[in-house]
Amino acid sequence: MQVTKNQEPEAEDRKSKDFFELTLEPLDVGAIARRIVPKMCGATVTLDGYVRQFTGTRETLHLEYEGYEPMALKEMEKLIGQAREQFEIASVGIVHRLGKLEIGETSVVISVAAPHRRAAFEACEWLIKELKRTVPIWKKEVYADGEVWVEGENGKI
Amino acid sequence: MKVQVLFFGATADAAGIREIEIDLPENAKAENAFAQIVGKYPALKQHSLLFAVNQEYASGKEIIKNGDELAVFTHVSGG
Repeated sequence: MQVTKNQEPEAEDRKSKDFFELTLEPLDVGAIARRIVPKMCGATVTLDGYVRQFTGTRETLHLEYEGYEPMALKEMEKLIGQAREQFEIASVGIVHRLGKLEIGETSVVISVAAPHRRAAFEACEWLIKELKRTVPIWKKEVYADGEVWVEGENGKI
Repeated sequence: MKVQVLFFGATADAAGIREIEIDLPENAKAENAFAQIVGKYPALKQHSLLFAVNQEYASGKEIIKNGDELAVFTHVSGG
């Protein structure tokens, strides 16, 4: 005899997996965001971080990102855990691109799904702020007249 | 004992290399290992540095073991 058990919606939600990835390939923001649409949620907030052409009056030609990949993945996983402790959220996806990126191309996507939008907005903002502080990835700005590895703000890690 | 040291971005440029192996005495502390590395590549002193041991941020107090993976890098700038 076959028994079909109705799964609780919340149990279903917990199965919805977080993800954190690094890739050399172009990022499809919409596709990444749609990977987390838990049944108990009503909103996903997605950050699309992309390459800025002008910082003030200085023009960037392109960027090169490099990561300490295994440590970056560990730190991304930690951030997701910390975000879950602070915010009422259901699922998080973080994908960071590495390698050479042209102006306007997406470098990072952070998607946060939550039952209600406020927690998703707050968690997404917190996640990008912390990612820029703790995840070992560096960007090199290539200008018409030179290039420089950007060094983040000093502060306790 | 031998440990691997990795450099990234600005520190790879400053050291002129991405990966080295260094010899350390048994039970060396991370801070001594990092002082040795910076001594070997003085250009690193021009940067504010962060250190990692086995892919975790290091305080300097860690005891290094044979085969550990150390890393020296600048404050991060992803996003």
